[in-house]
Amino acid sequence: MTTFVLRRLVWTVPVILLVILLTFLLMRQIEGNPFRTSERAIPESIQQNLEEKYGLDDPWYVQYLRYVKGVFTLDLGPSLVLRNRDVNDIVREHFPPSLELGALAMLFALVFGVPLGMLSALRANTFFDYGAMFVSNVGFAIPSFLVATLLIYFFALEWGDIFGLPTSGWDTWQSKVLPTIALGLGPMAYFARLTRGSMLETMQQDYIRTARAKGLRWRRVVVVHTLRNSLIPVVTAAGPILGFLITGSFIIEQIFAIPGIGRYYVTAVTGRDYSVVMGLTVLLALIVIVANLVVDILYGFLDPRTRDARA
Amino acid sequence: MARAPRAATSHADIPLEAAPVTAPLAGAPVRQTNLWKDAWYRYIRNRAAVVAGAVFVLLLLYCLIWPAVSPYDPNDVDFSQAREMPSLEHPFGTDTFGRDLFTRTALGGRISIGIGFAATLVILAIGVAYGSLSGFVGGRLDNGMMRFLDALYGLPYLPFAIITLAVIGDSGFWSLVIALSIASWLTTARIMRGQVMTLKQNDYVRAAHVVGARRHRVLMRHILPNTLGILVIAVFLELPGVILGEAFLSFIGLGIGPPDASWGSMAQEGYKVYRVFPLLIIIPSVAIATLILCANFIADGLRDALDPRTRET
Repeated sequence: MTTFVLRRLVWTVPVILLVILLTFLLMRQIEGNPFRTSERAIPESIQQNLEEKYGLDDPWYVQYLRYVKGVFTLDLGPSLVLRNRDVNDIVREHFPPSLELGALAMLFALVFGVPLGMLSALRANTFFDYGAMFVSNVGFAIPSFLVATLLIYFFALEWGDIFGLPTSGWDTWQSKVLPTIALGLGPMAYFARLTRGSMLETMQQDYIRTARAKGLRWRRVVVVHTLRNSLIPVVTAAGPILGFLITGSFIIEQIFAIPGIGRYYVTAVTGRDYSVVMGLTVLLALIVIVANLVVDILYGFLDPRTRDARA
Repeated sequence: MARAPRAATSHADIPLEAAPVTAPLAGAPVRQTNLWKDAWYRYIRNRAAVVAGAVFVLLLLYCLIWPAVSPYDPNDVDFSQAREMPSLEHPFGTDTFGRDLFTRTALGGRISIGIGFAATLVILAIGVAYGSLSGFVGGRLDNGMMRFLDALYGLPYLPFAIITLAVIGDSGFWSLVIALSIASWLTTARIMRGQVMTLKQNDYVRAAHVVGARRHRVLMRHILPNTLGILVIAVFLELPGVILGEAFLSFIGLGIGPPDASWGSMAQEGYKVYRVFPLLIIIPSVAIATLILCANFIADGLRDALDPRTRET
């Protein structure tokens, strides 16, 4: 098990290098740079000085290596647009809300989705099952901006007096309720469907029949034999979804005016703030990579057969 | 979700099989059958999938035909009829500029669904090429290609789509297609590889090698045609993610812009006035949700029909 975890850890290093390289090469293709925009008429000599200062006139591989060194020493460089601020400041300021939102939404999705799927599976083909699956299918299909808008419309405006939830912000716990639900509803529906399908499949396995045949109580069969095995696909799906929730909350952050990384990201791309976009992309990629890593390791614990195959 | 979870790929390791032939009644003629006919019979027995398929086709026809026969010009501004609630004349009401929403929704659907199918086809093309090469050649090349694929799984999907749009420099139809497919072909490639590796073990593939068929002929004639079932399912598995992706990009203002409209950009316009006239965001969003719901049920139905061994209970 230790070698499996170690090998998996070592393998992330080339992955990070490749992701940085791809982002770097892609970013270089964007036309123009912040010092060569039309609206700011800067004399040629000053432009050259600026490019020299930020190292934009070096060959690309020198810039790449300098950047990689920066990433591994946790220095993401200065912002090209905002003077006196570097990317580390921006990350420090805007990343915590995004991380918190993603984590809360994930928690919401798991806490409600998995039990909903379990209950549906245990009561397969009953009225409860049909209702839950209908809700899940619809919840999975509705775009999050509609969910967010409807939540604000009803719970913050129409019935605002009863619930007392604000329409935007990210300072009080009340302000975190609606964004969490808006972002977590889709994944919740997904987990519910996944858990239901996987439990129904597990319950048909021979070892479940054996467990029942040897006289174990139903509750024990469900908790010990069924649940653990049917959660494997849920764990597998959880990694990419956690990454997606943290990196893909642009819309929710915009609608609820949350000062997170997603809102900042769009501004940085349109403002051609290379170093900010690079820094944030690498950070988001790191999150995805770490989420996948954690899942692979968890997977190794849950299903020992995969340790060798996936290392 | 943008990407199907990895667990879903395990279905692909199981080869397609013809349905078990039921014993014919004595004297009755034996029904001629093949994989696709069997699949069709299985599909039409799944009521949810049939309804979803019908709604899907209706939605497509509405988007394709209605703008041509509609009595209203979708870009005709008439402030005297702004923000009307649904009526017989305007089944979906009118927007802030007095434009008929029933017509504009059809037009937006053309672009949303068009981008959806185009990006799905690009995803499948890249996925099939990459996956079948990796799976068919095998060995070191396969190992390297799969490691590269693992690394690409580290790319965050939406941020990369946004950077790609910035690189292309505009946000027209094809720019969005490229942006949405650039980081989403990974799962399809994995599924394809699994499928090709399984098919490679079959006796008829060995037989083809033995009689001296060239490698590309074996691949083109004996392996790829047998992956068609998986690919048909993959179309409807990928479509929801791409359509949602387009809606998201348009909603944050990086996608289709005026005067053109997609469902995402219509929702963005509606979002600006949701406090006074929520209908404007509800209609395009419900259109998106309907399409995705249908695609999910169709994918489920197709999986049961084309790949009976993995049928969900």
